[in-house]
Amino acid sequence: MLELRDLSKTYNGRTVLDRLSHRFGSGEFIAIMGESGVGKSTLLNLIAGLDAPAGGEILVDGQAMSALDDDAATRLRRTRMGFIFQAFHVLPHLTLEQNVALPLLLNGEGAAYQPGKGRAAEMLEAVGLGGRGGDFPRQLSGGEMQRVAIARALVHRPALVLADEPTGNLDPETASSILELLRKEIKASGASAIMVTHSHAAAEQADKTLVLTRQGLHLASDVR
Amino acid sequence: MRPQRPSLPAAPRRALSSWLLGAALVALVVASFASLPLQFAAFFTAEAASSTAEFLAGFAPPEMAPAFLRKTLLAAAETLSMSAIGTLLAVAGGLTLSLAAAGRFGAVARGATRALLNVLRSIPELVWASLLLVAAGLGPFAGTLALAAHTSGVLGRLFADALENAEPLPEASLRTNGASPMAAFLYATLPQTLPQMLSYTLYRWENNIRAAAVLGVVGAGGLGQMLKYHLSLFQMQNAATVISAMLLLVALVDAVSFALRRALTR
Repeated sequence: MLELRDLSKTYNGRTVLDRLSHRFGSGEFIAIMGESGVGKSTLLNLIAGLDAPAGGEILVDGQAMSALDDDAATRLRRTRMGFIFQAFHVLPHLTLEQNVALPLLLNGEGAAYQPGKGRAAEMLEAVGLGGRGGDFPRQLSGGEMQRVAIARALVHRPALVLADEPTGNLDPETASSILELLRKEIKASGASAIMVTHSHAAAEQADKTLVLTRQGLHLASDVR
Repeated sequence: MRPQRPSLPAAPRRALSSWLLGAALVALVVASFASLPLQFAAFFTAEAASSTAEFLAGFAPPEMAPAFLRKTLLAAAETLSMSAIGTLLAVAGGLTLSLAAAGRFGAVARGATRALLNVLRSIPELVWASLLLVAAGLGPFAGTLALAAHTSGVLGRLFADALENAEPLPEASLRTNGASPMAAFLYATLPQTLPQMLSYTLYRWENNIRAAAVLGVVGAGGLGQMLKYHLSLFQMQNAATVISAMLLLVALVDAVSFALRRALTR
């Protein structure tokens, strides 16, 4: 579903990614680890179409990202991708259910949205926040906010979930339960997922761990 | 052993530049008094007190004839309308300009719009009214436009600062999630800044009701125009009624605005 072909990226003359190639299998949950500054978040931004590569190509479902204009890339992110961030990025003035329903509203499915019913309420239930759809983010702990973010990332049934250090702001115990939940929900949805992390405990929840080095992406077992 | 009493560390010594700045400010205030012909002695003489009392006595009792009260009420409504419509137009103008002034259309547009906002708010309402009287003619229309022009400059600048100071991550995350720039702005940044914008708007409405009363003096309608008319004919009792209406109107708008702002920030 996702393929990188000779992908390169430079910042101010410094090569961050150099002719990176990899094919990600459909329905796989991949963890990407690597040293700080090696380009993990850059890779995630390139895959999301938020940044343009200096060379090479990214193919999503066989479609080259470089062939998409801004509007098409935005549409692709909106319909086919879900995002989970380290800092949650939950909107403070919207209720939990409105936050979760946001991707549906952005996809023009707002007419079908009914508070307390439907897909957004279902997803809140799935992440253990059933019945709290009317609460506001200020009433939540960090772990609960990340649960909302997971529900939001999966509510529109994306084909690909991109997570950037999803447990970076959480204590180890909460992080562990969030990762279990993330894995369970990703598997239930059938989506592929790429998670950038520094945490070995987080990476253990993935089907496969890849390590990003200057030489490319390698299976963690091959690197050790 | 006696326990040691906790003590705060000594306050940091003031720098010489702070003392110099303080001395310069004092010198400036003294020079201001010295340079102006302020005749405080003449102000506090028995003669001055008696002529002031005589002048003030001329205002009593205020004119309470029903026909005059009706006329005053209509003028008060005109002043209220001028301030409300002027503020409303300023919100529309200020919000539109604030988007560019907050750098949403690039650095060049930001600089140009901020310069325009500076011009709009640097010119006082009274000067705007005098200029617009030529184009719009005597009456409340010129006054309303004058309020709108000056307040657009003030609100545009305040709105732009509020937008620039808003937390950028919610909007960025929505853009990442595939929201259009407009949707990301409407869902993430505008709701963050809306309470602040409404509070600024209500505060400016309070200012505008006072300004609208004064604008009438240059012929821009409302209570101010009535006040100028009666004062110039030395009809002090009529003027007293108009001044009372101004005070009541300002107090009313202040109270409503204060209550609304409190409700918004709760």
